[in-house]
Amino acid sequence: MSGGIARGRLAEERKAWRKNHPHGFVAKPETLPDGTVNLMVWHCTIPGKAGTDWEGGYFPLTLHFSEDYPSKPPKCKFPQGFFHPNVYPSGTVCLSILNEDSGWRPAITVKQILVGIQDLLDAPNPADPAQTEGYHLFIQDANEYKRRVRQQAKQYPPLV
Amino acid sequence: MESEDDIIDDLVSMEDDFYSGDFSDYYDDPNDEDNDYYSDGDDDYGLLEDDEDDQEAVVSRRDQLGYTVLKEADIKQRQEDDISKVSTVLSISRVDATLLLRYYNWSVSKVHDEWFADEEGVRQTVGLLETPVVQVSNARELTCGICFESLPRDNITSAACGHPFCRTCWQGYICTTINDGPGCLSLRCPVPSCNAAVGQDMIDKLATIEEKKKYSRYLLRSYIEDNRKTKWCPAPGCEFAVDFAVGGGNFDVSCICSRNFCWNCTEEAHRPVDCNTVAKWILKNSAESENMNWILANSKPCPKCKRPIEKNQGCMHMTCTPPCKFEFCWLCLGTWSEHGERTGGFYACNRYEAAKQEGVYDEAERRREMAKNSLEKYTHYYERWASNQLSRQKALADLNQMQTVQLEKLSDLQCTPESQLKFITEAWLQIVECRRVLKWTYAYGYYLPEHEHAKRQFFEYLQGEAESGLERLHQCAEKELNKFILCDGPSKEFDEFRAKLAGLTSVTKNYFENLVRALENGLADVDSQAVAACSKTTSSKNLGGTSKGRGGRGKGSSKTGGSSRNVDDTSN
Repeated sequence: MSGGIARGRLAEERKAWRKNHPHGFVAKPETLPDGTVNLMVWHCTIPGKAGTDWEGGYFPLTLHFSEDYPSKPPKCKFPQGFFHPNVYPSGTVCLSILNEDSGWRPAITVKQILVGIQDLLDAPNPADPAQTEGYHLFIQDANEYKRRVRQQAKQYPPLV
Repeated sequence: MESEDDIIDDLVSMEDDFYSGDFSDYYDDPNDEDNDYYSDGDDDYGLLEDDEDDQEAVVSRRDQLGYTVLKEADIKQRQEDDISKVSTVLSISRVDATLLLRYYNWSVSKVHDEWFADEEGVRQTVGLLETPVVQVSNARELTCGICFESLPRDNITSAACGHPFCRTCWQGYICTTINDGPGCLSLRCPVPSCNAAVGQDMIDKLATIEEKKKYSRYLLRSYIEDNRKTKWCPAPGCEFAVDFAVGGGNFDVSCICSRNFCWNCTEEAHRPVDCNTVAKWILKNSAESENMNWILANSKPCPKCKRPIEKNQGCMHMTCTPPCKFEFCWLCLGTWSEHGERTGGFYACNRYEAAKQEGVYDEAERRREMAKNSLEKYTHYYERWASNQLSRQKALADLNQMQTVQLEKLSDLQCTPESQLKFITEAWLQIVECRRVLKWTYAYGYYLPEHEHAKRQFFEYLQGEAESGLERLHQCAEKELNKFILCDGPSKEFDEFRAKLAGLTSVTKNYFENLVRALENGLADVDSQAVAACSKTTSSKNLGGTSKGRGGRGKGSSKTGGSSRNVDDTSN
């Protein structure tokens, strides 16, 4: 397919984001040591939803876009070892809309991805476990699960 | 009827004990039957007849009913017809009809049922919108929902929903999904919340020639693969499909590419063995045949579950893998719980001497022996299964050689028209089929429970007879025929040979057909009569009665068994 769609689209996404984005979220392309901007990697922050055990945490997420974007979804990664039933040990998020074989559509925007992942935080999908620890606690020990989630939220305070 | 029949009759009168069973179905003119078998696909019938190389198709033609082999043109035709039907009845476009049919696995009746029960619901699920969900504004420029660029209206296209995207982005979207596989057949609008279907009209408008080709390929494949009644022939490179009328008891089908396969499990045809047994056997073969030697040399079977275990760590305390979890000592294969200080420490088992004195070791030894036997048993059956498989492949090659070279030569040498040499081809076809059956009887034998002694005995007897009968036929078709191919001129004995080979062919055919039936029955006759089987007289009667076709092997039984028939009664 034609080359430059990915960058053009990402530039437009960036513009749209600066005009308007949901409260508490951060999304910006990576700046390389030499000062240039790499549109293909975005560093983002997802706030835990108020009223949930995730509240107070500001979770760092990196989006890796490929040249096939937006035909193919970006890869979304939390830090390695992130505690959540649907996050792989590597940190990669497992979510239907991010699956290029099923849920992904090219009209899904960065904003929709980030909001989608925020929803996932407090509403894990036990049908699709990606890590043993988070999954087992979620299924077997609700109290311990809650405790771990709150503890993790404290690990990621807001960046002031 | 053709001349062979007279000869057979002659032969029968000469040596009538040799023959029993029903000839008539085999010697009926095959053309009479074909019209029935292929009544709903006249083209196939034509092709079958034209294809002279097509050996195996003929083999299985006799006991098959209720399926049709489809060529690509037939498939396309049927698909087109179905689309037309739905499109006409529902008054929708062909594109929409295609989407609907694909969604409901190409079942016209299902589409009709669903549509007339709840048209709105069906439209919603399949994504066939009647009106756009967004009003396209009249602006000169529109923003593409993918690249976010503002572009002149001419560059913007939409599916039925009206969501605007530029051609470049559509092309990218379509290209990616088509290259990702058959999922492209259920393509939807790029907007995540919109389920408007994207059909072939959009593909035709936007995809490259290459992609369009792929798309129609997927569409054709879907017609076979998503349809419950059709499957591709599993032969490598074969592009035919088989439409099977569900309900027939027998799954054996024969593609016009010459592959015989089971329609149910798509493994090669495997009567008299059922699909589950075949699956188990094939799994076992793939898991074990290559490794057999290694396993025998390097492992001991778990004393409890008999699975082979390789010792890859130092300690003698072995724990078998779940679900067995049996804990034992590698040295003596005894239960680990009996080990300890008392027996001279955990890691230096000296139970051997003590056990030997007490006679306990014999038990352990016996168990090990048993475990070894289970592997030996498998090897035994596998070897025979595999050698019949090889033999069958060899016979197929010989048959081919026969048809392409030898028959012509023979016809010249013996001054006999080739049409009169059909009995040789038939003999070879029979050999090929018998090798196949025989091969599977070894899988059957492997899974026949050990404790059913009467059945095993009877089975092994039947199998032995089958082996030797087939051996005789194979010998005759291979070695004795050679004489006539290698000699210089016509031989007086050729007529005699013809009679012998034709006779052997039909006897063997009958025997195998009865064998297949008896095995498919689970050797039920044995159950009813096993009680009396202890006395010698009764058991020999059993054998005569159950294996109809076997009659004629032992001279006495063919006459006494009620099921043996005389050829004179039935052949004409």
